[in-house]
Amino acid sequence: MSNQTTTSPWKTLVALPENIWRSIFRNPLPSSDLGRASTSFTNFFLHLHPVKVHRNSLKATFTLGLGLISFFLFFILVVTGILLMFYYVPSTTQAYDRMLDLRGTVAFGIFLRNMHRWAAHGMVAAVFLHMCRVFLTGSYKPPREFNWVLGMLLLLVTLFMSFTGYLLPWDQLAFWAITVGTSIASYAPLVGKDVKFILLGDSTVGQEALLRFYVLHVAVLPAVLSLLVAIHFWRIRKDGGLSRPAEEDALPADAPAPVEVISGPAVVMATSAAAAAAAQPVLQKRQYGIQGLVRGPFTKVGNVPDRSVFAWPNLFMAELVVFLITVAGVLLVSLLFNAPLEEPVNVMHPPNPAKAPWYFLGLQEQVSYSAFWGGVGIPTIEVLLLLIVPYIDRKIVGVGRWFAQERLLANFLFLTFVIVNVILIIVGTFFRGPNWEFVSPW
Amino acid sequence: MKTPVKPALEESGDAMTRRRVLSWLSGFGLFGSLIITALSNLIFIKPRATYGQPNRFSIGKPEDFPPGARVSLDTRRVCIVRDGDKVAAISTTCTHLGCIISVSETGFSCPCHGSRYDQDGNVTGGPAPRALPWFQVSLAPNGEIEVDKDTEIEAGNYLRV
Repeated sequence: MSNQTTTSPWKTLVALPENIWRSIFRNPLPSSDLGRASTSFTNFFLHLHPVKVHRNSLKATFTLGLGLISFFLFFILVVTGILLMFYYVPSTTQAYDRMLDLRGTVAFGIFLRNMHRWAAHGMVAAVFLHMCRVFLTGSYKPPREFNWVLGMLLLLVTLFMSFTGYLLPWDQLAFWAITVGTSIASYAPLVGKDVKFILLGDSTVGQEALLRFYVLHVAVLPAVLSLLVAIHFWRIRKDGGLSRPAEEDALPADAPAPVEVISGPAVVMATSAAAAAAAQPVLQKRQYGIQGLVRGPFTKVGNVPDRSVFAWPNLFMAELVVFLITVAGVLLVSLLFNAPLEEPVNVMHPPNPAKAPWYFLGLQEQVSYSAFWGGVGIPTIEVLLLLIVPYIDRKIVGVGRWFAQERLLANFLFLTFVIVNVILIIVGTFFRGPNWEFVSPW
Repeated sequence: MKTPVKPALEESGDAMTRRRVLSWLSGFGLFGSLIITALSNLIFIKPRATYGQPNRFSIGKPEDFPPGARVSLDTRRVCIVRDGDKVAAISTTCTHLGCIISVSETGFSCPCHGSRYDQDGNVTGGPAPRALPWFQVSLAPNGEIEVDKDTEIEAGNYLRV
């Protein structure tokens, strides 16, 4: 303190920029392992990450970066969506004109709408493919069951987000897709009619429905989605990091047992190492406190080969690359293709055929056979089966490998589900014409 | 307090201690208020009045519909059928998924998923699960025909005008 009082005002002034900088960024760019370790601790934006990650979980061919792509697409959607909100009015008399304004008068308006629309399509695809990746690598197995459930909820919220956004341009496509979609909801037993009425705020699609879908789309669902994403990410670390391909070299026979946490249930981290330890007779139990674990979910104590690498820069560079690829992809598609906008709503004349967005065309194809079973029964059964999968298929084999031999049946059933749905979508998209009759696209 | 106090009060197995009763009660209270909050939100979000079209409306004098006419009022989503001196109103909302159906030579047909109905609204093809509902038709004191879409009547019930 005495030193401070003797510094001249001039020296204080000279040191001012550096002092301000240091007060914001306490640490310089890391040059040592200690520095690299503390980046994840000290930086608000990075502290979600572990200090170290397993080398194999960074393999691009294993994860394909699909979870990150989904998240970055969501990020793009939030940014472009907020910008679009400045010019959009959720009114049946104005909404369509505002779409035309985006084309004609708003600076970058058409480009922002393109980005929003294509990123939304991309997010539905990325989330679905991410689910396929997690299933086909067996990554939903214990201890990651609940994160699979959260992922399923995220898929449903993503679809609902996309569905609510679909109505907002108030063009023919929007109006009839929502008319068909909400009628599907009304086939649900007992609550169906009420669900439809509450969704639309009226007996038919109109101003109330537009307002409700707008509020759901820009406030309610993004909040729900963000919360679920936060828990989803948090669970990745608490469940022991991403599942990953096995170590190249097996543990030496005399290696000390993996960490066993005894500090109480609050800090139990279900690592795959701990799971392996539970499966094998443990020769030698050691006890470590929370300090031994906080450095990463799979810290190994002792002379077990350490295959983990520092998150800074390895993980962050990987994330940056995926982010840049995602942004570049969205920008490119938005430059090349314009988001569709049909005629303004004409309540009297449904387009023939009235088609939903591509990811709902499988559903619409099912609906053309039976409204209840195609629109409510089968989708509900599918979602319930997917939700319950990790609680039925609990044997920890074939985790962290694509198409593991041991998981032949599970993968076969899942791929059947995927392929059937893809075929239904293709049929609905290309092979259905007026009156939903079969047409040949060529 | 005169009653003897048991040793190890809080942790003594399944004995109903005062503390346990109080925690259960507060638990029920908290959980109950949560449910009540959720229910009130549901009640809030279900509109008591709608701002769209009324479900009861008049469509004009009987003379506006000559015998044999089948006039589809698309904004009202109802088709006025006049057969001799009898009038009826058949819904033109497809029972499949709510598209507006159009009047065809054989009855009605839906452009969305290809449902077809006969002149009386019975399903003749496509995925429609049930026949088109008929709505209550009445003569208002001013001599105009009034349609009430909230009241469905049995098919074949005409109003004599």
